[in-house]
Amino acid sequence: MTKRELITPAATKDLYLPVMAEITDVRSMTPLEKLFEIRLPGGAELGHRPGQFVEVSLFGVGEAPISISSSPTRKGAFELGIRKVGMLTEMIHRMQPGERIGIRGPFGSGFDMAKFKGRDVLVVAGGIGLVPLRSLINYVLDNRGDFGRLIICYGSKSDADLLFEDERRLWERDPRVEFHLTVDRGSPGWQGRTGVITTLIPGLDLDLPNTLACVCGPPVMYRFVLLALKSKRLPEENIYMSLERRMKCGVGKCGHCQINGSYVCQDGPVYHYPDIKALREAL
Amino acid sequence: MARFYLENGKVAAFIGHLQQQKTVYAPHRKGRNAFAFAPVDRPQDVVLDYPRTVSSIKRYFLPPREELLSFNLVENTCEQPVVAPLDAVFLGVHSYDVHAVLKLDHNFVSGNPERNYLTRRQGALIVGVGFTPDRFHFSGSVGVPAGDTTGCDLFLHPCEGGYALEALTPDGEGLVAGFPLPAHTAGLPAAAPFHQHIYVPQAKLKDVLAHGYDSEVWEEEAEKCTSCGTCNLVCPTCYCFDVEDAVDITVTRGSRERRWDGCLLRSFTEVAGGEVFREEPAARQRHRVFRKFKYISDETGEPWCVGCGRCTASCTAGISIVSIVNRLVNDHDAVKA
Amino acid sequence: MANKPRVGIFDFTGCEGCELNQLNFEDQLLDILEHVEIVEWREAMDGRAESLDIAFVEGALSTPDCIKRIHEIRRKSKVLVALGACAVQGGINALKNIRPIEQVREEVYGQDKYLFPTLPALPLSAVVKVDVNIRGCPMTQLEFLKVFTALVMGKAPVEPGNAVCTECKLKDNECVYEKGMICLGPVTRAGCDAQCPTFGQYCTGCRGLVPEPNVEAMEEILVAHGLSMDDARKKLQMFNANQLEGVS
Repeated sequence: MTKRELITPAATKDLYLPVMAEITDVRSMTPLEKLFEIRLPGGAELGHRPGQFVEVSLFGVGEAPISISSSPTRKGAFELGIRKVGMLTEMIHRMQPGERIGIRGPFGSGFDMAKFKGRDVLVVAGGIGLVPLRSLINYVLDNRGDFGRLIICYGSKSDADLLFEDERRLWERDPRVEFHLTVDRGSPGWQGRTGVITTLIPGLDLDLPNTLACVCGPPVMYRFVLLALKSKRLPEENIYMSLERRMKCGVGKCGHCQINGSYVCQDGPVYHYPDIKALREAL
Repeated sequence: MARFYLENGKVAAFIGHLQQQKTVYAPHRKGRNAFAFAPVDRPQDVVLDYPRTVSSIKRYFLPPREELLSFNLVENTCEQPVVAPLDAVFLGVHSYDVHAVLKLDHNFVSGNPERNYLTRRQGALIVGVGFTPDRFHFSGSVGVPAGDTTGCDLFLHPCEGGYALEALTPDGEGLVAGFPLPAHTAGLPAAAPFHQHIYVPQAKLKDVLAHGYDSEVWEEEAEKCTSCGTCNLVCPTCYCFDVEDAVDITVTRGSRERRWDGCLLRSFTEVAGGEVFREEPAARQRHRVFRKFKYISDETGEPWCVGCGRCTASCTAGISIVSIVNRLVNDHDAVKA
Repeated sequence: MANKPRVGIFDFTGCEGCELNQLNFEDQLLDILEHVEIVEWREAMDGRAESLDIAFVEGALSTPDCIKRIHEIRRKSKVLVALGACAVQGGINALKNIRPIEQVREEVYGQDKYLFPTLPALPLSAVVKVDVNIRGCPMTQLEFLKVFTALVMGKAPVEPGNAVCTECKLKDNECVYEKGMICLGPVTRAGCDAQCPTFGQYCTGCRGLVPEPNVEAMEEILVAHGLSMDDARKKLQMFNANQLEGVS
């Protein structure tokens, strides 16, 4: 039973009140995805970890969870990669620099980067899964000495859907990055690799016990990537996954994001695989 | 603490005494065969002998619809409405509904404590009342006897000719002060029996539910279910909510409103783009029952169902949570025996 | 607002009650007219418009001429809103679809039946793309205002997908079944704020079935509460004949 003295609003925070932040830059990545640069009032830091999310709101339209795409090492502003999938994101896509949107957060677990120190980092990103993982990638690049190899496997439906073109080209050329790219179906003239993302994994040369895999992509992808990683004999405890659910309130109250007994907005969206292995609704 | 005798003829006057101190909420008749909590206007309209109310007193702490923000679209600004504390007495609350409030307290204090709920809940006093279990009550099976006084400031034990009024807290004593009543010295009558039971000790439920994850019962019950969500919405320990923005006709102002939601509803896990993460009605049925007997229970060691029987009594399809759990118990015992 | 959206209001087979309900916006009518310019509305004005931002269309499609006209309206309108049960589901008109069409024609027009070509009563969505539904018989002002303000803001309105029961429970209503009556609330789309059950009636299902409805379960509930299976089907068909027969 909760003690009576705890039933008090004294120690509560403004759980549902957004901070009004300014859109400082908008870049179109594909017809469906745009990258928004956002500055909090007074240039305050968001104070996030890679893998966390914010609730973005437009008054009169609503609120939705959006992954943070920039690394906390890049100061002064943060970035959100937003796909146009519903009413709210469609309205956000129409917004211009100088306009203001509501931000709550950061929320969720995120990647505990201390656990990644000295380890090889394998990023497995399917489609829009690259958006949250880009935060991790840039964190590693900005603290390059703290980590081992950085291996990126990025798969997309087609070459027209590829995200972060400028950065991708940097990663391709950067000797500190091992970058592998594939598309399910290439348009005519596509010179790169064709095939689903799991086809990238068998050929990887991994230092097994030392490699930590971070996986994010569409719901259907996880089981197959997991199988591919397991057949590489990557230990389960070396796998992290970022999952999508309907994180409506972001503060562990509204119930929508639950996977069995776990609130994704509190325990996730980044999960250590052994922690969700037994959750039947997870993958 | 003290126990007084409140004869039936003095109940209305006692309610009047409470009204002089605070706003009093109590059960009233609603419609043809239903009861609902409402602010007391005339003490003689209060019904203390009732089977159950449509919804619990939860609605006063977590309102079914509540403005979280009001916003100005022209200025692009918002503010939080001021939530007023409830200076109130809840009179005639059954033990299971008091337990339900204590469980909600846990949910709204844990993790990120929520101001709106706690502001309203803080200072609310509760006067419990005993009840005669009907064919849907089973709170005795989840550790809540009809005469359980946990969480109450005062409790009305039904007895010959009236009530034994038990003071349980200094606040409760304060409510009685100034209303002269004789002491109640006789023993309390034995509690009436329950007609519905979950046949398993609570400690074993954890195993039973883990074993029942893939039971056929989910699909069988889902076939009868229209996914209307009533079971969630009448549940006194359900607290899930949805949030939606509305604008007024001038399109210059509006509000962000939350309202009760339920995991049995198909839309509950739907994300932008149309993916529904708990698409199968059977999976939703299981989630509802697991929310009551497993997920929070594994952490707290208590069932999160209080045995009020509302979900079953309100289900037009006749789906019974007691039958579901007992079926899981039987299946578990059959295999493990 | 410099360029007010140009709005047209049209009707097909129906009682025109939804349109009349628009004229009944006594408190809000002036606010509504602040936002839009009504350029075509047979019930209240003369003339025709070349192009429209929003077309509100009432009634079901039930003659070859209806089909021609709805295509014209669709062509000249940016947003097409189906207004009321007839336009959204075919409404009560669709009851004729569960009987042979020749029999219906003869019953209604007798020996003149050859003068009146008729088709099964269809929802607008069976013929053209519908952008927004405003449901109900008649449509509720509550939902009209919600959709209207959304369109003025330039956003797509969200259509409620839960059952009417959810709104009843939020209002702490006594369940209609508790009163010894039957009700289609468990499978009918919310959005009306459970008006009928709140005011002592039962839900007739005018707003259409919820997505993925469990119709068999609803029939069983009706039968368990005293209806014959035949009567249970008829109750459900009243507003949902097309949806039950697979016409969206």
